[in-house]
Amino acid sequence: MIRVDSLTVNYGELRAVDNVSFTVSEGEIFGLVGPNGAGKTSTVECIEGLRRAYSGTVRVLGLDPWKDRQELYGLVGVQLQDTAYQERVRVFEICELFASLYRRPTPYDELLKMMQLTAKKRDFIANLSGGQRQKLSIVLALIPNPRVLFLDELTTGLDPHARHRMWELLLQLKKRGLTIVLVSHYMDEVEAVCDRVAMMNCGRIVSSGTIGEVVGRFALPTMISFRSPVEHLGSFENLAGITSVQRKHNLITLCGNGDKAVAALLRHLEENEIEYTGLAVKPPDLEAVFLELAGTAPAADSLEGVK
Amino acid sequence: MSPAMIKLTLMEFKLFTRNFINMFFLLVFPSLMLLLFGGIFGNEPEALYGGYGVIDISVPAYAGMVISITGLMSLPLTICEYREKKILKRFQATPLSPVYVIISQISVNLLMTIAGMLLLFLVGRLVFNLRFMGSFLPVAAVFLFSTLSIFSVGFLIAGLAPNMRAATAIANLVYFPMLFLTGATIPMELMPALMQKIAAVLPVTHVVRAMKAIWLGEAAEVLFPSLLVLGGVLLVCSYLSLKLFRWE
Repeated sequence: MIRVDSLTVNYGELRAVDNVSFTVSEGEIFGLVGPNGAGKTSTVECIEGLRRAYSGTVRVLGLDPWKDRQELYGLVGVQLQDTAYQERVRVFEICELFASLYRRPTPYDELLKMMQLTAKKRDFIANLSGGQRQKLSIVLALIPNPRVLFLDELTTGLDPHARHRMWELLLQLKKRGLTIVLVSHYMDEVEAVCDRVAMMNCGRIVSSGTIGEVVGRFALPTMISFRSPVEHLGSFENLAGITSVQRKHNLITLCGNGDKAVAALLRHLEENEIEYTGLAVKPPDLEAVFLELAGTAPAADSLEGVK
Repeated sequence: MSPAMIKLTLMEFKLFTRNFINMFFLLVFPSLMLLLFGGIFGNEPEALYGGYGVIDISVPAYAGMVISITGLMSLPLTICEYREKKILKRFQATPLSPVYVIISQISVNLLMTIAGMLLLFLVGRLVFNLRFMGSFLPVAAVFLFSTLSIFSVGFLIAGLAPNMRAATAIANLVYFPMLFLTGATIPMELMPALMQKIAAVLPVTHVVRAMKAIWLGEAAEVLFPSLLVLGGVLLVCSYLSLKLFRWE
């Protein structure tokens, strides 16, 4: 569906995207993730034909996005990072305009219904909430009846409920057979909807694959926390698989290597009849990988209270 | 024109009419000023105005007012807004090139400028028995040429301004002197000689001079220097705006 091969993008001296390669297969939701300035948007803009690659090749549905852009724009739907529309346009007016741009547009009434915007059809864009504007931009991206949908920072600025609704919509669209490329720096979003991800940092792909594969490669610790009045933490440090221990008031947090550490800890708590509440085990996730990459690992913040 | 192009232009037209500032300063303000000046001074021939009435010289002069609101405010501010909101970029990702968004903007502003001028003419004619000494085609030609020249200044503003706020500041800074110091609102004849000399550097002054000359059927010597200046403005500003123009 999409093939990116050794893509490089320069802004003058700066290399924004450095030798990036990946493929997206039909019917999957592919996430392009990473910190701000990692080169995600530049990469996706090359795939959309909005930016010219310095070197490397990109193919979307067999087309060269830069040379065959006219043909491509009839086949893909695009939602750009923070595009706004004219405030004094009514929803149906902009839908009609976009429908007139394509040969076989999807009737926009259907799309407005799917996005729960039917009641807003005659409203000015100025009167839409942030979430409704994002939904409208998806409606406009779907009007061409695209085979591939590009979404850049889709849920930025939305409240948690609206974000969850948006994820459901994406999964619905996937069921209809759409291929979706999602650019995001929200890891929960990517974990919720993406089949595969490519994690970018400083213009390069640091890791790619399914979420499990990407997280697995970084060998990050499992975090175990619980509340307990226990005084001496020394005994925890010697447990098999536990690498660090810290305490804040009565909240004790341990880092360890996977399930073995958890089992060892549970045994220790049981054998020594240590009281505890609120035991939580958090295996490494994409967020941990992201923070590790961004250089702000959820580190030992303060050693206050540790004896 | 493709159906998409027609849809786009119609939408831009609606957007123009929904912009209160545009509509007020284009359609209401000029007629209001005309009614005000005409109400005070009437339209009797006076030596100060070269043997014409104040309305006779004001209607062609107000062409400067009408062209300034579309050319120096509406056009540059809309283009900057579309760039800042990434609307132009959004059109890049459709089969319709954003060039057509610019073309439809020019068309709508041009049509509205003509509409504003026609309305002014009608008010002058119906209320004050406006005299018209020129002939239609040359007047229309000078009017269109003036409009294009001022539009090119607008494009330069759009090209120079880094963002919407700067564009608004620049447009206001250019618009208000052009409105009040060029004879486009207050008759030039009422200004001191020094002021008249200073005003000669402002392009709209030459719109006013050229329109008055062609309207009142004056000799070509009065008309041509101003047309030359407007032509120069058109060339220089078009060249610079093409150099400076950015889609995002």
